[in-house]
Amino acid sequence: MMPVAYPRRIAALLLRFAIWIAPPDTLDWGHAMLAELDHVQGNWAVLLWSLGSAGVLAQHTLLSLIFPSCNRQTIPSGGNLFSKDDPVRKPALATTAACVITSLLSFVAPVFRQAFRVSLLPWQIVFKTDYRSLSPELQSIVKKAKQDHDAEALAFVAFRHPQSSEGARLADEAVRLDPKLIWIYAIVAVRGSSLPEIDRWVPAIEQFDPQNALPHLITAEKIDIDQVLRANVPHRAEDEPPAWQSAMACTFESAKLDTYSSQRKELDRRVLIRYRVGDPELIAGDGAAGFYGLPSYSVWDADRYAELVLASAQVLEAQGDTKAASEKYLAIAHFGKLLRSDVSALFLKRTQQAYTRLAALAAKSSRPAEAAFYAFLAGQERQTEAQESSFRYRRFSGNQVARWDADLARRSGAVMLLSGALLIATLFAVLLRGRSLRLSSFRPGRLAIALGVSSSAAFFVSSVVLRLSYQPYSEILQHYIRDGDQTSLTNLGDFLDHAYAPIGSGWLNPRQDYSSYFWFAVIALCALALLVAVLRYFKARPRANATI
Amino acid sequence: MKIPRISPQTLRVLERFIEHPTAWRYGYELSRETGLKSGTLYPILMRLAKFSFLDTKWVTTEDGVPPRHTYRLTPKGGELVRSLPRAASAAGRVRRPAIGEGRA
Repeated sequence: MMPVAYPRRIAALLLRFAIWIAPPDTLDWGHAMLAELDHVQGNWAVLLWSLGSAGVLAQHTLLSLIFPSCNRQTIPSGGNLFSKDDPVRKPALATTAACVITSLLSFVAPVFRQAFRVSLLPWQIVFKTDYRSLSPELQSIVKKAKQDHDAEALAFVAFRHPQSSEGARLADEAVRLDPKLIWIYAIVAVRGSSLPEIDRWVPAIEQFDPQNALPHLITAEKIDIDQVLRANVPHRAEDEPPAWQSAMACTFESAKLDTYSSQRKELDRRVLIRYRVGDPELIAGDGAAGFYGLPSYSVWDADRYAELVLASAQVLEAQGDTKAASEKYLAIAHFGKLLRSDVSALFLKRTQQAYTRLAALAAKSSRPAEAAFYAFLAGQERQTEAQESSFRYRRFSGNQVARWDADLARRSGAVMLLSGALLIATLFAVLLRGRSLRLSSFRPGRLAIALGVSSSAAFFVSSVVLRLSYQPYSEILQHYIRDGDQTSLTNLGDFLDHAYAPIGSGWLNPRQDYSSYFWFAVIALCALALLVAVLRYFKARPRANATI
Repeated sequence: MKIPRISPQTLRVLERFIEHPTAWRYGYELSRETGLKSGTLYPILMRLAKFSFLDTKWVTTEDGVPPRHTYRLTPKGGELVRSLPRAASAAGRVRRPAIGEGRA
C-alpha cells in the first residue's frame, strides 16, 4: 500500500511544476493554491485540489504562450511574494545560444550540409512536384560544360537527365565534341528505350563496337516499346515481329556483352573530381548501380527469346536434326555465359534446361563423357540459381546497418526541422511580448525558456546524430572519388534507398514505423488540444459585459 | 452601476463573502463552503480580483507554516452583491458537497 505522505508529495510536486511554468501574472495565485494544499484533508482531496489548480495554471500558461500580448493585465494577488527569479534566464539563454550556434556552425562543413540534404530526401517525395527539371547542381555542370566544351561533363549530365529527350540532346552534343564517346549512346538509350535517336545511334554503336550484344538488345527493346505504344502488347516471343526476333538472334550470336560500366564509372569519377561534386545522389542514387549494370529488360527479353529457341530446338530434336538442335542449345548456353558477369538468376533456368538437353542428346549419341560434362554443367547452374536467389533476397532486404543509419539520419533531419520551427516560434513569441529587438527587453517566461532550451537541445543532439550516422557514407563517397574504390558503393546505395522512404510510410518493413505512428498521434492530439484551448479562449475572453 | 453577467458559481462564492463582508476568507474554506473545486473556484477568485471586486492579501498564521492567501470583498464588490437580484442570489444557494468534505 502506498504510504500516506506520497499522494500529498505527488500533489505538491505537480503543483510546483505547474507554478514553475506558469506566467508571472499568475504566480502568486499558484502559490496561493499551493499554500492551501497543507490544509486540505484527505489524500484524494489533496490530489484533486492539486490537479484542479494545476489545470488552471496550465490554461494560463498555454494562453500566455499563444497570446503573449503586452496588454495582458496582471491579476492582482495582494502582494508580490513570489516574483519570477531572473537567475534562471541567463544560463538558459546561454545554453540555448550555445546549442543553436554549435548546430549552425556544423552547416559550415560540406559533409554536414550533404548529410542534412540526404536527411531531407523523404520530403522530396511528399513535396516535389516537378520531376522533369534538372537539379541545380546538374544545371551548373551543364552551364560550365557548355562554356568549356567539356564532352565528358555533358555525358555525365546526359546519363542523369530526368527528361530522356534532353539527355539524348546532351549525348549528341558530347559525341559531337568528342567522337570517341560513342559508347555513351548505349547508356542513354538504355534509360530512354523509345527515343527516336536510337535508330541513328545503334548503327554507330555497332560500328564502334561490332562484337557487342548491347546495341541488339537496345534495338529489340525499342521494337517492343513501339509495339506497346501501338497498344499491341506482345506477351510471348512468338507474338513479336520478325525484326525483334532477328535483333535477339544477333544478341545471342554476339561475342560479348559490354554495358560500358567501367568506362562510365571512370568518366563519372573524372567529372566528379573536375567539378568538385559531392552529391551522393549523383553518384550512388537514382538507381545508378542498376545503370552501371545490365538494363533490366535485357534479361526478360533474353529469357523470352531463349524459351522460343528451346521450343524450336525441341522441334528439331523431334525431327531428328540433333546437330541443329545442339547449336540452338549451345547458343542459349553461350548467352548465359555472357550474362554471367551480371546477376541473372532468371536466365540460369534456361541455361540449365539447355545443358540438360545437351546431356540427353550426347547420351543418345553414345558420347558418355560429353553427356557427363553437360550434366555436370546443368547441376552447377542449378546450384548457382539457388545461391543467386538467396543472394538476391539478401540484396533486396538490403544492408541492415545502412538501413538503421538511414533511419537515424532521416529522423534526425525531421527532429532538426521540428525543433528549429519550435525555436523560431518561441523566439517570435518572446519578441512579440517584448515588442523590441533589444536584448534587454527580452522577458521570456518560464515556458518560453523551457521550450527554447529543449528545442535547442533537440536541435543540437539531432545534428550530432545526423553527422555521426552519415559519416561512414561520406567516407565511402570520398574513397570512391579520391581512389576510385567502389567496394562499398553498394552500401551507400542501400543507405540512400532507405533514406528516400518517407517517415511513417512503412516502406519495406511496416513494423519499424509503429513508433512514428505513435508520435504522429501524440502531435495530432497536441494540435487538437491547442485548437480547443484557442477556441475556448476566444469564447471566454473578457468582454465589456463579461461573465465573472 | 452596470452589473456584469454573473455565473451561478460566482454567485455562490459572492454569497459566502456577503455573510461576513469584512472577514478575510481562505481558498480551501471557500471551496468547502461553496462545494466548488479548486479548478472552478480559483478562476472565479482571479476574475473577481481582476475586476476589483475582491481584495487579496497574504497572511502568516504561525511560524514555519507558509503564508496563506486570503480574500475579502472590496466596497465595489459589496456594492455589486447588493445590486444583484434576489432571485439570482437565491439560485446560488444550491449547495453541493465540497472536495474532501467529511473525509479524514
